[in-house]
Amino acid sequence: MGLLRYLLKRLFLLIPTVIGVTILVFLLVHFIPGDPIEVMLGDKATEAARQALTERLGLDKPMYEQYWNWFVHALQGDFGMSVQSRLPVTEAIRSRLPATIELALTATIVAAVFGIIVGVSAAYHHNSKFDHLLVTFSLVGVSIPIFWLGIMLMFLFSAVLGWLPVSGRISMGAGVQEVTGFYLVDTLLQGDMSLFLDSLKHLLLPALSLATIPLSQIVRVTRSSMLDVLSEDYVRTARAKGLPYRKIIYKHALKNALIPVITVIGLQMGKLLAGAILTETVFSWPGTGRLLIQSISNRDYPMVQGIVFILALAFILVNIIVDLIYAKLDPRIRFE
Amino acid sequence: MQSEFLQKLTIFKKNRLAMVALFVALLLVVLSLFASLISPYDPVSTNLENKLQPGFWAGNWEHPLGTDNLGRDLLSRILHGGAISLRVGYMVIAVTAFFGTLLGIVSAYYGGVVDILIMRVIDVFLSFPPLLLALAVAASLGAGLQNAMFAISLVYIPQMARVVRGSVLKVKTNSFIEASRALAGGNVWIMGRHILPNIFPSALVYLTLLLADAILYTASLGFLGIGIKPSTPEWGAMLSSGKEYLLMGQWWVTVFPGIMIVLAVLSFNLVGDGLREAFDSKLKR
Repeated sequence: MGLLRYLLKRLFLLIPTVIGVTILVFLLVHFIPGDPIEVMLGDKATEAARQALTERLGLDKPMYEQYWNWFVHALQGDFGMSVQSRLPVTEAIRSRLPATIELALTATIVAAVFGIIVGVSAAYHHNSKFDHLLVTFSLVGVSIPIFWLGIMLMFLFSAVLGWLPVSGRISMGAGVQEVTGFYLVDTLLQGDMSLFLDSLKHLLLPALSLATIPLSQIVRVTRSSMLDVLSEDYVRTARAKGLPYRKIIYKHALKNALIPVITVIGLQMGKLLAGAILTETVFSWPGTGRLLIQSISNRDYPMVQGIVFILALAFILVNIIVDLIYAKLDPRIRFE
Repeated sequence: MQSEFLQKLTIFKKNRLAMVALFVALLLVVLSLFASLISPYDPVSTNLENKLQPGFWAGNWEHPLGTDNLGRDLLSRILHGGAISLRVGYMVIAVTAFFGTLLGIVSAYYGGVVDILIMRVIDVFLSFPPLLLALAVAASLGAGLQNAMFAISLVYIPQMARVVRGSVLKVKTNSFIEASRALAGGNVWIMGRHILPNIFPSALVYLTLLLADAILYTASLGFLGIGIKPSTPEWGAMLSSGKEYLLMGQWWVTVFPGIMIVLAVLSFNLVGDGLREAFDSKLKR
């Protein structure tokens, strides 16, 4: 089966799942105990305002009709108006999404690159002090709450040492002309080196905190998968031929050892998206995660629904991409 | 079966790191169980005159870990916080173990349409990043430990069901299942008497690792102030309330609850890892 057919098959199988996701997201408003209108507007709202919101959300209609309306609009990327700001939910999400993607992508790259390098060298120096130290670190790494780590890093590097900014994406008043929405790219396009460095400095701590857990997992998996591969016959043959060990690792072993690593990176994406919500909250990073938490405390449910749906879709999409890479690396997958 | 179980426990006992972790974990459990007896002060009553006092490092033995921004004794709050985290953790485990096992066994045992239906619904739940699902549900249900517990369980029931389903599919092919059916064993009898004991080890390992995760998720919800009231002496919520004082130098309100979360999560993770190494024959070298 070709990769394209595999992709089409996967996309086709997704249809019922995505419909299920829309049902669950739609039902979120109906999980609210008591009167959702009162919860959203507070008990001091006028009758007219209550009436207007009931109509706008269609809560006076039968359940199936409400769902159908929501579903049809959601498919067109319309999640209604924010109860708080009265602006379209989609607009708010679109303006915040690049910040989250920039943060998550940087963290993934940091975690993957450093994780693989460190994991391989731990396997290379198997059972040495260095190896044991790394294993211990990666164990602690998966157990640290990401928000606590973020706060501690912020305390050390921003408050005590004063090297890095405390929060946000860029210094106040800096004029970034948004083209892509990724500040690292936009500042470069602008040709402003000091702005680029400024955005990099802002990105550093959040990306490091977010990368810690996946980094630790990737180190652990790379190490054990590399150790597995290094005990294979073909590695012994290569050594017997007199190839240098370093060359065997990078030319022969690494490619085969990477398959479980890719799986783990995929599995970590969910935690990464979830971690982004926490990291954005700690560092006041203006992304979708922070918007979600703000909307939850404002009881802005249309906004909550929109963000939850978009993040779930993003997660599904990332999983497909990971599966495709996986299918490319290991052709057996495609024939299941 | 019995002796095999004991044999695996012996493997576990030889794992020094896991044994130390088990000791720490048990210590945390005992401290939490007797939190209200050991705690020197009430964890919720405020005393503003006494706020943000440093602890033993400043010679203050009345409040060994200092006091928080509302003058509450930090040690007492941390002990109660342990009780809360663990209580949510146990409840998540109980609920997840029950529904996850039930769904997994039924799905794999009957197969066919039942299997497809259950697995499709599970796929929907697994399409959400884990914390996001818990957040969204907890946000809708409102604050309360029970709601937080329910929201976190919703994340794990589908995962558990998948793990159980996988093990049942393997167990199902054994000839003793067929033998029992030949002896007129009913479906419920076979599931309860023959399948359940055989999936027990893998379920146990999964649940231990889940306890660590559940503690972490409870703390995350507490930190975000969703599903858990801010006044609750919960580690994540405590840490969050201390955040603004950290930058002014009052570090203890943030640091101690964080250390407790790391200790609890790390020790349960290590116990789970140890169990997995002992019980998962694939890992034995």
